[in-house]
Amino acid sequence: MTTFLRERIDAPTLIAAVGLAIMGLISIYSATFDAKMSELFFKQLVATGIGVVLLAAAALTPLRTLQRMSLPVYFLAILMLFTVLLIGKQVSGSQSWLQVGPFSVQPAEFAKVATVLALAVYLSRSDVQLVRTKDILIPAVIVLVPVALILKQPDMGTAMIFFGMLLPVLYWGGSSLFTILALVSPGVVAIAALIGPTTFFISVVVLGILLWITKHNTISAALLFSVMVLVGISVQSIHSRLRPYQQKRIETFLDPNADPLGAGYNVLQSKIAIGSGGFFGKGYLQGTQTQLNFIPAQWTDFIFCVPGEELGFVGAACILLLFGLLLYSGIRIASIVKNAYASFVAVGITGVFATHIFINIGMALGLTPVVGVPLPFLSYGGSALVADMIMIGLLLNLYAHRKEY
Amino acid sequence: MPVLDDMLVHQKRRVMYVVFSAVFVVLFARLIQLQWLYGEQYGQQAEENSVRIIPKEPIRGYIYDRQGRLVVDNRPSFTVTVMPYEFDRANLPYLARLLEMPEQALDERIRKGAEYSRFVPVRVKRDVDVKTVATIEENYTRLPGVDYQIESMRTYPTKASASHILGYTREVSEEKLKMLDPQEYSQGDITGATGLEARYEWAIRGKKGAEYSTVNARGQIVKRFDEGRANRPAVDGNDLYLTMDFSLQEFAESLFADKRGALVALDPTDGGILAFVSKPDFPLASLSGITPKDLWRNLNTDPDRPLFNRATLTRYPPGSTFKMVLAVAALEKGIITPNTRMQCTGAFVLGNKVFKDLHVHGSVNVIEAIQVSCNVFFYKLMLQVGLDTWSEYAALFGFGQQTGLDISEESPGLLPTTEFMNRRYGERGWTRGFLVSLGIGQGELGVTPIQMACYAMLLANKGKFYQPHTVAKLVDRIHDTTKVLPPVLRREIQCSEETWSYVREGMRRVVQEPGGTAASARVRGIVSAGKTGTAQNPHGDDHAWYIGFAPFDNPKIAIAVLVENAGFGGRFAAPIAGMCIEKYLYGRLIRNDGMHPDVQARDTSVTHRRPAHAAAAPPEPLNGGPD
Repeated sequence: MTTFLRERIDAPTLIAAVGLAIMGLISIYSATFDAKMSELFFKQLVATGIGVVLLAAAALTPLRTLQRMSLPVYFLAILMLFTVLLIGKQVSGSQSWLQVGPFSVQPAEFAKVATVLALAVYLSRSDVQLVRTKDILIPAVIVLVPVALILKQPDMGTAMIFFGMLLPVLYWGGSSLFTILALVSPGVVAIAALIGPTTFFISVVVLGILLWITKHNTISAALLFSVMVLVGISVQSIHSRLRPYQQKRIETFLDPNADPLGAGYNVLQSKIAIGSGGFFGKGYLQGTQTQLNFIPAQWTDFIFCVPGEELGFVGAACILLLFGLLLYSGIRIASIVKNAYASFVAVGITGVFATHIFINIGMALGLTPVVGVPLPFLSYGGSALVADMIMIGLLLNLYAHRKEY
Repeated sequence: MPVLDDMLVHQKRRVMYVVFSAVFVVLFARLIQLQWLYGEQYGQQAEENSVRIIPKEPIRGYIYDRQGRLVVDNRPSFTVTVMPYEFDRANLPYLARLLEMPEQALDERIRKGAEYSRFVPVRVKRDVDVKTVATIEENYTRLPGVDYQIESMRTYPTKASASHILGYTREVSEEKLKMLDPQEYSQGDITGATGLEARYEWAIRGKKGAEYSTVNARGQIVKRFDEGRANRPAVDGNDLYLTMDFSLQEFAESLFADKRGALVALDPTDGGILAFVSKPDFPLASLSGITPKDLWRNLNTDPDRPLFNRATLTRYPPGSTFKMVLAVAALEKGIITPNTRMQCTGAFVLGNKVFKDLHVHGSVNVIEAIQVSCNVFFYKLMLQVGLDTWSEYAALFGFGQQTGLDISEESPGLLPTTEFMNRRYGERGWTRGFLVSLGIGQGELGVTPIQMACYAMLLANKGKFYQPHTVAKLVDRIHDTTKVLPPVLRREIQCSEETWSYVREGMRRVVQEPGGTAASARVRGIVSAGKTGTAQNPHGDDHAWYIGFAPFDNPKIAIAVLVENAGFGGRFAAPIAGMCIEKYLYGRLIRNDGMHPDVQARDTSVTHRRPAHAAAAPPEPLNGGPD
């Protein structure tokens, strides 16, 4: 019996998921600990229940069925993203929610999973060779359609997640480092150009050298290089034409510490909360920063402060280790499955989780710009939690069918 | 990818492990840095150096009239606040009773605020009396979280209501709040809802400031953060200086005390609005802040519609006041000359229909036809001029389009064209009978009082159309800068000097000469010009119109008056215009005090107000007293 279970269930993935889900409920309970706010905790509890059911469903669907369902699911997701732009509910400036009966659903969260499945279907076709431009363009389009719709909401954070899934999947599929570089460099140059002319210059030089090293032929390298320079220059000229308050917003986005009392306020408070937690933390429900709500709506994007403050380094490290275990299992599953489609799904899911984790925790620790991205399993939000659970279900499914071709 | 190549997969897996591990190492290093190395330091900060932002409200700009008289003021008022975090829900019924508001409404306001932050006080009731504040003070310990703030509220020191032009303020609605900058607007903030308050919100609101305070772990304020260096003071809103004259406004409103209608007076030299009346109106003071529900219901259900801005939204036919449009068109197109005479027998027969006139005017030329308001002359003239030319000139005078006044909504009115008539009645469906009615300003024609005031301005200015406006300048008291909004000459009707002089002479005679229809608009010592009109009203009594300007040679005021359901324009609208002109040009009413206008003009207050006028318009011998 035990051997049968061990054969069918990937223990590391399951342990990571269960551990993180528990940590999530503990953190949200604390962040919303107040007679009037407990409502949020119960909502999250209900979402966990729904998530478990869908996890099981995702885990038990036969691999073939899953593969056949992938494209229809992708188009359904695109349709939902259109719908949300038309009749969506606006919450704090973004039109991201659809009202479905008693639930508010965030289609972008599910679009992530659907896009991973669609990418895997395409890339696992035997005639695809990721050294050909045409074959790289199609996965780019698969990703850009939902990204464009999500940016329109606007939801910058979720849109970024899609790039976090595209790059590892392309790499896994055999793209050269040059291709990956080509996809990344315009964005890097754009951000560098926003920071200042010096960083712009340095980034162009460094990326230029990297392109030269990884190039297949001189023409494409030269072409890409000129695109890079052009992007940088146009970003700078657009920036100079923005209004002062818009420039300021970009400035604090790139460096929250520059404005500790305005947009950088959350980051400063987050660092104080985590730092003051020390090694063992202040004790559950005892965190002064958490309980006094210094960070508005802490239970969403800045949830990492709660274990950071109340459970200290011990708690925060536990969470990091659980996330590490999750990413490790994802890559391991991707490399042991025999079916190419399954392998790409595993890599895509791992990419999605990794991007969420790195951006969110990096932000809470004051390392990366403030982008609204939830932390998997921990942040309050039903759609995100259910989507996370579905992805875990898929990983477990792939593991169980790892020997199928 | 064809097949998973074991070698390649192995290599790629290693690269990904390395990349992910590297990121985790960075995160762990940062965690160690924050929690081990600087943990104590951050712990101290958390204990005593947590920053809380307290928004500081700017003072809404004051509004002054053209003499610099304060017309919209701010007064301090008490607002009761509740901090959701400290509030004990058991006190809800007691507090609701104290504030005389439904428990449910109070609870809802507190909940809304708590959604944003439980530590920011929510405004639950505005403008409470001192007694309530005293009760809250007495029960400070029994009512945790309940407090009060002093906020400024709009108050209106003049006797004028000017409700439709000034507009009222109210709490920003939830739907609107979602679209506004959260740095500048939060729940419960006051914002301009109508009129100038809404249109110039961007200028008079000002910018919120912020005070940063250090609070301890129990949320109490310990000291100013960073010695207050980071504090941003609120930037008060700009003050508005209007083109309006509030002593004229008060006077004009008093003339409408028992009437329904509208009056618009403007300065023809720059288009500045001098007075703007729409009656009945409503008391602005009772709407600023939180409006009592029953008052709001009464205002909305009142059959006289006090909230309706008659000066920009009513559409009535202009009646005989419109005859100058036809006269200008006919003279300009050479259809008639000033010597062209037509016979008025008191009626005009067209087919089997008889169009009546009030009198038998005999042989009249265009000047006389305006003076006595002869309908027959204009019936005949309209048939010669035709709808297209007439409508072209009416459009030049600004009819059928919005004037672009800088307050709230405005009706474009209705100006029929051939196309419109064809669409409405079919190409053969409308007869020449429709046409002759339009010739005397009746029928399918709708004009607003503001359009009529602009029409008077155009006649006063011989065709110059200055953009009507109410704000002359914005003054920023904080930075001591003034932004003058210069008058804008929007367009000019190109007509010959002769055309203007004939038509204007007709208008002068309307007021100044025996036989004119508006002797009641005469002002002693000032030559005034105008035209009466009576809008036929199929639903009830006719509406009285008057438009005019004065002084004749150097106009300082152009005016349009509408009195609903009053009857003849000459009897009901013209005297109101006359008295307003008198009040404005002399500074007070002189008709009853028997003093010679010359003496009046040299009176200090008058020379101070209008030095140019006394010299420009020498008093003229009067032909008869006003009615």
